[in-house]
Amino acid sequence: MKEAAIAVSNLSFSYGRQKVLDGLSLEVPGGISFGLLGPNGAGKTTLIRLLVGLLRAKSGTILTLGKKPSPRTAHLIGYMPQLPSLYAELSVIQNVEFFARIYRLNDRKQRTQRVEEIIKLVDLWQHRNKSVTNLSGGMKQRASLACAIVHNPPLIFLDEPTVGLDPELRVHFWDYFQGLTGGGSTLIISSHTMDDAAHCDRLAFMRDGNIIALGAPDELRQATGQAEATLEDAFLYFIKHGGVNKNVR
Amino acid sequence: MSGSTLVIAGRIINQLVRDRRTIILIAVVPLVIASLVGVSVPDKSILDYTAPAILAVLILFFGFLLTGISFLRERSQGTLERLMASPVSRLDIVGGYLLGFLLFAVLQTMVLFFYLIYVLNVNYYGDLWQILVFQVLIGIGAVCMGTFFSVLAKNEFQMVQFIPMIIVPQMFLCGLLWPVSQMPEYLQWLANALPMTYGVSGIRALMMQGQDLLDIGQEIGVLAAYAVGLLILSAITLRRGKG
Repeated sequence: MKEAAIAVSNLSFSYGRQKVLDGLSLEVPGGISFGLLGPNGAGKTTLIRLLVGLLRAKSGTILTLGKKPSPRTAHLIGYMPQLPSLYAELSVIQNVEFFARIYRLNDRKQRTQRVEEIIKLVDLWQHRNKSVTNLSGGMKQRASLACAIVHNPPLIFLDEPTVGLDPELRVHFWDYFQGLTGGGSTLIISSHTMDDAAHCDRLAFMRDGNIIALGAPDELRQATGQAEATLEDAFLYFIKHGGVNKNVR
Repeated sequence: MSGSTLVIAGRIINQLVRDRRTIILIAVVPLVIASLVGVSVPDKSILDYTAPAILAVLILFFGFLLTGISFLRERSQGTLERLMASPVSRLDIVGGYLLGFLLFAVLQTMVLFFYLIYVLNVNYYGDLWQILVFQVLIGIGAVCMGTFFSVLAKNEFQMVQFIPMIIVPQMFLCGLLWPVSQMPEYLQWLANALPMTYGVSGIRALMMQGQDLLDIGQEIGVLAAYAVGLLILSAITLRRGKG
């Protein structure tokens, strides 16, 4: 197994008096797709924002690629927020080009080549000069993904990347995600749909600010003891039977 | 100044250039306001006295509004979060805004200045370049003020509420309509604490009295101190890892 891309120990975080994460520990090996699964309010987005360095932990430690999250390590990380988070007045190519420059792809020739490559990859080449305002929801998601990975980062955080996508596009996204992990990148994907969960190499079921189960999708299904169990059944099983940090390995 | 500052400034210019309606409003609205003042004043000498103040006040007003709304949108559409997760620093972000909007502030000043001089026949005695340099300083203050107050607003409606709170009192107290020296003493004290008072006093000294930038050191000093203070405050409130 490769070196851990993420190592979190005893992490707690609160918004004011509201505790969102409560002593969470987690280790994610490199080069896999790792799903954070749980209902709304489980703490997935907060965990991602902490891992990216947008929030500071009240207690506990976080290491991403062996280092504490900081602006110095930010170029190694790709981040796709839950909202498309694009400049509405700019075109697709202008948005992607902007983030390429922000992530210091300074060589103009290489940058142009990479921007073109990534826009083609998310299948927006024929829409590259359209303003973001004029794109559909799915196109915005694809443009947002292109901005997050244009600098080819080894560690990528995708917060609910498939929300609002039609089934065909969802399959297309997952094909692409698998291509990224095949290339050695680590993907951390939050989702609340079990359909997404099935595509991940490993999963963490989250509830009330903690991890209730951890393992490969098949391991989690088998842990229920039912031959035909779905991931949804597994999630419900761990809610019913599992204590905090019940680990399936 | 880092490369990222220039990249952010370039993006802001790109955004505004693509938003043609805003560009037209930036260019035309100050001219409409100046024309209204120009045709409504009964005496040409009043216009000569008021015009420099209009130049300064409109730059402050539009700089504050445009930057404030843009920065707020940067937060509400999630792009600020994306930037904060990237390798750019807070100063890069605020500095990029400053540079980007400053270009439009300078263009707006030039259009308004030439309109006042050649269409409304306002008399002036100073050097154009010195007037422009001083206007840029007011523009920097306006952009820093807009950035800082946008951090305090949660939506565009709240941002607009800062205009009657922050800009309108300065318009009344800066000497635009009547001299600060004729106000009650406690209002003079208040007026002398506000940046716009120094903006109006400085631009009048340059345009009406033909003075040099070296003669208005106090005005330049106060405006620069405000700009630097607000720039630092904006960068602090934008800190990474806030929560």
